[in-house]
Amino acid sequence: MAHFIIDQEMINSESLPSFSLTIDDSYATTIYSDTDMQAELVKVLRENAGIPIFDQQEGLYNRLTVENNITFFHKWFGCRTPIPEILVLFDLHSCAKKPLYKCSESEIRRVYFAKYFMSGVSPMVFREPIHGVDIRTINTFINMLQKIKEDSIPVLVLVSNMEHALLLGDAAYKLHDNGLHPVEVDEEENASEPDSPDAPATTNLFKIPAKVDDKMILFDPPEIDYIESQDGKAMIVINDESYAMDSTLSEIEKKLEIYGFYRCHRSYIVNLQKVREIITWSKNTYSLRIDNKIQSTIPLSRTKIQDIQEKFSLK
Amino acid sequence: MNVQRISAIFEKDMKDFMRNITMLMMPSISIILALVYNGMGIGGGEDEYLIFTIYVIVGVTFSAVTSVCMVTMMAEEKEKKTLRGLMLSPASFVDIITGKSLVTGLITFITLVISLLIIGFEPLLNVRAMLGLILMFLFFLMLGIGIGLFAKSVAAASAYSMPVMFLFGFTPMIELFGLGEDSIAIHIAGVFPIMQAVELHDTNSWLPLGIIAIWVIAAALFTYICFKKTRTDD
Repeated sequence: MAHFIIDQEMINSESLPSFSLTIDDSYATTIYSDTDMQAELVKVLRENAGIPIFDQQEGLYNRLTVENNITFFHKWFGCRTPIPEILVLFDLHSCAKKPLYKCSESEIRRVYFAKYFMSGVSPMVFREPIHGVDIRTINTFINMLQKIKEDSIPVLVLVSNMEHALLLGDAAYKLHDNGLHPVEVDEEENASEPDSPDAPATTNLFKIPAKVDDKMILFDPPEIDYIESQDGKAMIVINDESYAMDSTLSEIEKKLEIYGFYRCHRSYIVNLQKVREIITWSKNTYSLRIDNKIQSTIPLSRTKIQDIQEKFSLK
Repeated sequence: MNVQRISAIFEKDMKDFMRNITMLMMPSISIILALVYNGMGIGGGEDEYLIFTIYVIVGVTFSAVTSVCMVTMMAEEKEKKTLRGLMLSPASFVDIITGKSLVTGLITFITLVISLLIIGFEPLLNVRAMLGLILMFLFFLMLGIGIGLFAKSVAAASAYSMPVMFLFGFTPMIELFGLGEDSIAIHIAGVFPIMQAVELHDTNSWLPLGIIAIWVIAAALFTYICFKKTRTDD
C-alpha cells in the first residue's frame, strides 16, 4: 500500500495555510481551491517536493498522428499495457490516424491523459484535468482514476470547481485561508447545517431576496437555476452569475419545495423545472445538467437518484 | 543510455521529419546544387574543379542538413516544451540527443550519397578522405547540438545557423571573392575543416586530418559547455 504525505515542512510558503494531508492509494483525493491558491500549491509541490504536475501545459507532437504520439510515449516510458488497450481505454481508437493538429480539444486532452497514465509516475498530481472538455472525456478520466487506483498509485486532483471536486474525488477537500477541510459528501440528510430559529415563518413566499452590494434583489423562484452552498452561505445561481442569500440551504429548501425545487445534494438545491439531463458517470455517480446558458452541471447524491427518478416519473 | 528510449526518439523523429516541410527542404538544397553543377558540366570527368565542387557540396550537406536539422529539431522541442515530463533524469537527455543524432546521421548519409552519385565520387574513395568526411560529420553534428542547446525557439535557431552555414559550410566559396592570394581572409579560411579536407588531396601528409580532429575536439568542448550551461539553467 502506497501513500504520500503533504506536510507543513513541504509547504513552507507564506501564501498557503499550513496543513498536512495523507493521500492514500485506495481513493482519489481532490483539493478544491481558488486559482491563486492552486497555483501556489502547484509551485510548492513542484519545487519543494519535486513532484511532476500534470497540467497539460507542455506540448505534444502536433504533426504526428494520435497513434504515433501514443506509440512514442509508450516506448519512452516502457509502459507494459499494450498500445491497442491504451487506445481503447482513452477512447482514442476512432481518431488514431488523425494528426494532432486536426484533433478537437477533448481528443487532445485524452492523449494527455494517456501520456500521464503511461508515465507511471507515483504519486500522480493532476491540475484541472476535466476543465472545458466533453462528457466522453470526463468519463475516460474517471475510468483512468479507477485504473490508477488498481495499480496502487496515490492520486491528487487539483480543481477550482466544486462540482469537479465532488465528481472526481472519493475524498474531497477544500483549501482556503483557514486551512484544509474535508468537504462532506456523506449521504446523510443535512448533518451539520444549523437551523436558525429566527427564520421567517411564512411559507407564502413568492420572492427570494438576495443581496448585491447594498441592494436587495428579489428573484422569482422559477427564474433560479439552482442554489448552492459556498462556505456555509447559500448562493442563488442564475446563468453564470451568483447572488448571496441570507438564509441557509435547509431554511430555503422548505420554502421552495412547493415551487418544484429539490435538495439533490448536501450543498445544492436544484430547480427541477430547469433540469435538462441526468448524467450517469461510471462508478454510480450522477450529475444534473441545467438548461441555462452555460449548461452548468451540479452533483446529484447517490441516495437521491431514486427520489429524482420518481419525481420525473421515470420509474 | 537506454536503447529502448533512443529507438523511441529515433522512430518519432524519423516520422516527424517526413511531415516537416522545412526540414525536408534542407536535403534538397545540396541535391539541387549537385544537379546544377552537373548541368554546368563540371562533374563526371577529370576536371580540376571536381574536388573543389565535391567539397562545396559536402560543406553544404553537412551545414544545411547535419547542423540545421539538429538545431531545428532541438529548438522545436524546446519551443513547444514537449520535453517536459519526459526528462526524468539527466541520462534521458543524453538518450534524446543520441536518438536525434542517429536521425540526422541517416538523413545526412542519404543526402550525401545522392548528391555525390550525381556529381561523381571517385576522388573520395580512399581511407584518408573517408576519415576526413567522418570527422567533419562529427564536427558539424556537435556544432548543431551546441547551438540547439541554447537556441530557445525555431526562429532563433535559424538565425544562429546562418553564420555557421556561411563560415563552415561555404568556406571554399571564399576563394571566389577575388581576394589576393595572400590576404588574411584566405589564410584563416585555409585552416577551416572543409579547406583542410581539400588539402588532403594535394598532399600525402596526415596533418590536415589532425587539424580537422582539433576542430572536432573544439566543437565537442563547445557542446559540453552549452550542455553544462543549460543544465544549470533548469
